[in-house]
Amino acid sequence: MSVLQRGTDRPSAGFSMGRYLANIDWVLLITTLTLVGFGMAMIYSATHADKNISSPTQYVRDQALGLVVGLLVLVVVSLVDFSWFVGLKRYLYWGNVALLVLTLLVGAERMGARRWIATPLFDVQTSELGKLLVVLALAAFLAEGVELRGSLRFLLKTVAYVALPALLVFLQPDLGTALVFAAVLGVMLLVWGIKWTHAALLGGGALLATTLVLRVLPQTFGIALLKPYQLQRLTVFLNPDQDTSGAAYQLSQSKIAVASGMFSGKGFMDGTQTHLNFLPAHHTDFIFSVVSEEFGFVGSAILLVLFLVLLWRGIRIAAASKTLHGTLIASGVVAILLFQVFVNVGMTLGIMPITGIPLPFVSFGSSSLVVFLTAVGLLQSVHVHSRTALYGGRLRGDQHGPMAA
Amino acid sequence: MYLEPMRRRRPPSDDTSVAARLAVLAAAAVLLFAVLLFRLWFLQILSGDRYADQADEQRLRTVAISAPRGVVYDRDGEPLVVNRAGLSVGILPMDLRSPEVVVPRLAEVLGMPEAEIWEKLEKGKADPYRVTVIQADVPENPIVSYLKEHGLEFPGVRIEKSYLRSYPRNAFATHILGYVGEVSYEDLEKEQFRTLGPGAMVGKDGVEAVYDSKLRGEDGTRTVEVDASGRPKRMVQEIQPQPGSNLVLTIDSELQDVAERAVVEGIERAHEEGFPDAAGGAIVALDPRTGEVLAMASYPDYDLTSWVGGMKTDIYRELTSPEGNNPFFDRAIKGLYPAASTFKPFVAAAALRNDLIDWTTVYNDPGSFRIGEQRWKCWKDDGHGDVNLVEALMVSCDTYFYNIGAIFYDMKGPILQDGLEAFGFGRASGIDLPGEASGRVPDKDWKRLTGKSEEARLWKPGDDVNLSIGQGDLLVTPLQLAVASAAIANGGDVLVPRVVRQITDGSGNVIKDFETEVRGRVDLNPEELDAIRRGLRLVVSEPNGTGYGAFRGFPIAVAGKTGTAEKKPDDDYAWFMGYAPASAPEILVVAIIEKGGHGSSVAAPVVRRVLDEYFNTDSAGPTQVEVTE
Repeated sequence: MSVLQRGTDRPSAGFSMGRYLANIDWVLLITTLTLVGFGMAMIYSATHADKNISSPTQYVRDQALGLVVGLLVLVVVSLVDFSWFVGLKRYLYWGNVALLVLTLLVGAERMGARRWIATPLFDVQTSELGKLLVVLALAAFLAEGVELRGSLRFLLKTVAYVALPALLVFLQPDLGTALVFAAVLGVMLLVWGIKWTHAALLGGGALLATTLVLRVLPQTFGIALLKPYQLQRLTVFLNPDQDTSGAAYQLSQSKIAVASGMFSGKGFMDGTQTHLNFLPAHHTDFIFSVVSEEFGFVGSAILLVLFLVLLWRGIRIAAASKTLHGTLIASGVVAILLFQVFVNVGMTLGIMPITGIPLPFVSFGSSSLVVFLTAVGLLQSVHVHSRTALYGGRLRGDQHGPMAA
Repeated sequence: MYLEPMRRRRPPSDDTSVAARLAVLAAAAVLLFAVLLFRLWFLQILSGDRYADQADEQRLRTVAISAPRGVVYDRDGEPLVVNRAGLSVGILPMDLRSPEVVVPRLAEVLGMPEAEIWEKLEKGKADPYRVTVIQADVPENPIVSYLKEHGLEFPGVRIEKSYLRSYPRNAFATHILGYVGEVSYEDLEKEQFRTLGPGAMVGKDGVEAVYDSKLRGEDGTRTVEVDASGRPKRMVQEIQPQPGSNLVLTIDSELQDVAERAVVEGIERAHEEGFPDAAGGAIVALDPRTGEVLAMASYPDYDLTSWVGGMKTDIYRELTSPEGNNPFFDRAIKGLYPAASTFKPFVAAAALRNDLIDWTTVYNDPGSFRIGEQRWKCWKDDGHGDVNLVEALMVSCDTYFYNIGAIFYDMKGPILQDGLEAFGFGRASGIDLPGEASGRVPDKDWKRLTGKSEEARLWKPGDDVNLSIGQGDLLVTPLQLAVASAAIANGGDVLVPRVVRQITDGSGNVIKDFETEVRGRVDLNPEELDAIRRGLRLVVSEPNGTGYGAFRGFPIAVAGKTGTAEKKPDDDYAWFMGYAPASAPEILVVAIIEKGGHGSSVAAPVVRRVLDEYFNTDSAGPTQVEVTE
C-alpha cells in the first residue's frame, strides 16, 4: 500500500465536532495565541507614541484584524483533510507561480520592492502566502516521488520545482523569503529521505552558488546579482566596525537595545532604545530587540522557549502523521518557523545577516500573521486528520497513538 | 520526544527512517536555539553594563547652564564690569553630520575663516558631548535667526545663551579690570581649572584673573533625554548655576578718570616742551594709610570691549603694532625705570638709620663730585653750595647724595641695598594683580653674577654713587615707588597695596573684607622721619624747591619729590611723587611720563591734577611750569 493511498483514506465516521475538538493540538494553539498576544503587547509598546498614527492602538488593531482573519483561516484549514491537497498540487504550485509573476508585473512598489498585491480590502504580501503554497506543493510532489529517493534526476527536478518560485521572490527583490524557500526545500528533502550523498552534493552546490553570487561573479565578472544594499546587509554582521552605513547603525542599535535590557529588562514601555527611535523597524523586523530591551534575558528566554514549544509540537505532529505527506507538510511548516525565528533573532543579536525576515506571530504585519496562523491550521489538520484517518471514530487520548512511546 | 533512534540504515523502513530524520531536525532546532540563548546570555548578562552605558550615552545630553560672572564695582558701588546676555554659536561634535558640508556653510554665515572652525573642532573633539563654542557673541539678526530658520541644514550647530562682559565706561581702568577669554588648553591641565571644559570663560588679566575663582561661579547643568534625531524629549535633571561673587574695588572711578586723563595731558605737555617721543606713562594713587589703590593707570590703554566675543584679528594687529606702543602692558606695575631723584628720600633714610649722617650734616656742592679721576655732575651746573639733608632734598642736590653714596661704598657690604629693600624695592609689592615686576636693586653679588666682562663684574664706587641718586642699574616700578613713599608718609609701614576692598555676594552681603596688610616696617626715629618729610614739603612749598612751580597756588599742603631719569639714548623720563596733606597724608600719587623730559614741569602737574580732584579744590594749575630739575 502506497503512502499516498494511506493518506487518502477517509474517516469511517462522519464529522463530529466533539471529535474534532478533542483532536486539536491545544498546546500548539495556546502557545500560538500566547505568542501573538506577546507580540501585540510589544507592538503596542513600540508604536503607541508614534506621531504618525491616529490612535495609540492603530498598529495593535491592525494586528488584531490579522489575528481574527488568521484564526478563521486556521479553523477552516484545520477542518480540511490535508490529503486533499495532493490532488490540488498542480493548482497550488502554478497558482503560486502565477501570483508571484503577477506581483512582479502589477505589484505595488514600496521602498524599491514589489512585494504586495493591493486588493480593495488589504494588501497581500504574496511571498508570505507563497511559502505555504510551496510547502503544500512540495509535500505532494515528494510524497508522490517517494519511490524515486535514489534518483538524482528526480532530486534535480525537485530543486528546480522550488527554484522557480524562489527565483520569482528573489526578483521582487525579497532575498530573505527566497532563502526561506531554500530552507523549506532542505528540511523537507531531509525528512523525505534524501540520500546522504545527494544531500552532500546539494550542500556543496549551495555553497558554490553562494560563493559565486557573493564573490566570484561581482568581483571577477562584474555581475551583481545582489543589489549593493543587500550585499551590505548580508555581510555587515561579520565586521560591523568597518561599516558606517545604515546597516551597521541598525545592527549596533539593536545590539545596544538587547544588551542594555540586561537580566530583567527596562520594563514594559520603558525601553529607551525603542521609544527614542534609536532602534529602527522596532515593531516589525526588530521586535525581538524590543522584547529583549524591555523584558531582558528573562523575557527573551521565555519567548524563545515558546517558539521551541511550537517547534516541538510541529515535529511531534510530523512524527505522528501516518502518511509521509502529512509528515512532509508538518516539517515544511517547522522549517519555515525554525528558519525565520533563527534568522530574525540572530539578526537582532548580530550573529545573522540583516535579511528583513519578520519574527513569526510577533512582528507587526497582517500578511505574515495570517500566513503563520494558516500554517498552524495546517499542522492542526495533519494532527487531527492523521488520527482520524487511522483510527476513525476513536477519541484523542488513545494509549497507542502512532509512534508514541 | 516521541522518536525512536535509527537502528538500521538499509533497507529504510518508512517509520524509523522518518523518525530518525525528524530527530536530526529536532536536534538542529535545539542547537540553533542554544546558539541564540548563548548569544543572549553573552550580550545581556556578560556585556549588559557596557551596552547600557552606550544606551545612556546616546540618549542623555548634558549641557552646561553658564553661571553669570560676578560684577566688579568701584569703591562707591559704581559698576565697572557687568554682564549682558548674548548668544553664542557652537557645535556639538557628536551631532555634527557631514561636517565637510556644514563647516564651510557655517563659516560663510558667521563670516569667519573656515580654518578657524576646523581648528576649534579639532580641539573640541576630545569631548564630543560638550558644545564647542565657535563664535561667542553673535548678533540675533540676521545671523542667529538665519541659523534657526535653517536649522536642518546645520546639524550639530547649537545656539546657546551666554553671558558676555560689558564695560559701561569702555576704555577705563583697563589694566586693573583685565578681561576674560576662553580657557586655554594648557590652563585646563591646572588644578584651579580642573572643573572646567574647553570653551569655558576665565579671567585672563587684572582682577578678572586674580579673582577668577570667586568671580566665575559654578555652571549648572541640564540633562535632557533626546531621541535618535537629537530632539529633546524630556528633562532628566537640572542643576541651577551658582552666580559668581562680586568685587568691590578700592578704585574711585572719578579719581581714576581724572588720573587717566592727567597722564594724557602730561604727555601732551611733554610734546609742548619739546619731547615729541613721549607716548607712554603711568600713574598710581593710593591711600598711604591703608595701601588701597584709589586710582592706577597705564597709558596707552585700550577698550576691553574688543575682547568680548573674541578679539578681532585686525584690532589685535593694530593694538600690537609699533605705533600702538604696547597697550596691553601695565606700566604701573610692570614698567621698570630708574627712580632718579624720587629715590633720594630712601637713600637718605638708609643713611640716617645707619647713622652715617644726621640731617644737619652739611656737604658742599660745587656743581660736581669727584673720586680720583672720576667726576659726577650735579644737575645744577654751578652747584647748590653748602646744603644739609633737608635742603638737599628740597633742591634735589645730586652732589649731597653722591657723598652719601661714597660713604656707603666705603663701608663695604650691602648696607645701602638692605636699607632700600626695607622699603620694598627689588621685590614685588604683592598687589592683587597678575604679572607684577620685582624691579632691581643692584648689589655686589648681582654684578658679579650678571656682569658681561671682568670689569663689569666688579662693584665699584660709582655703583653706589649712581644708586644714591636713583640711577645706575636700579629699576623700580611706579607702584613700588608709591608703596615706598607711602612708608615715609605713614611713618614707616610698608603696606601691601590692594585694588580689591571686598568680595560680596549677589545680595550685596560682604563675604570677605580685605584688611590693611603691613608687610614690613622701616624704623626711623621721629627726628629722622621729620627731616625727610620736611625736605619733601619744602620741595613744593619753597620757591627754591623743584616742585614749587607746579603746585603754586594749590590750597592744600603737599609734599613731594621730582625725578628726571636718564635712560640713554631715550629722552629723560619725568617722575613726580606727591602726597597730601603733608602733615597727615591721605593720598599719595606717583606719576611717570616716559621720555617726557623734566619731572618738575611734566610729571608734577599730572600729580597736581589728581590731588586737585581728590581734594575737590578745583585750582587751576599753572599752564607753564618753570623747569628746575
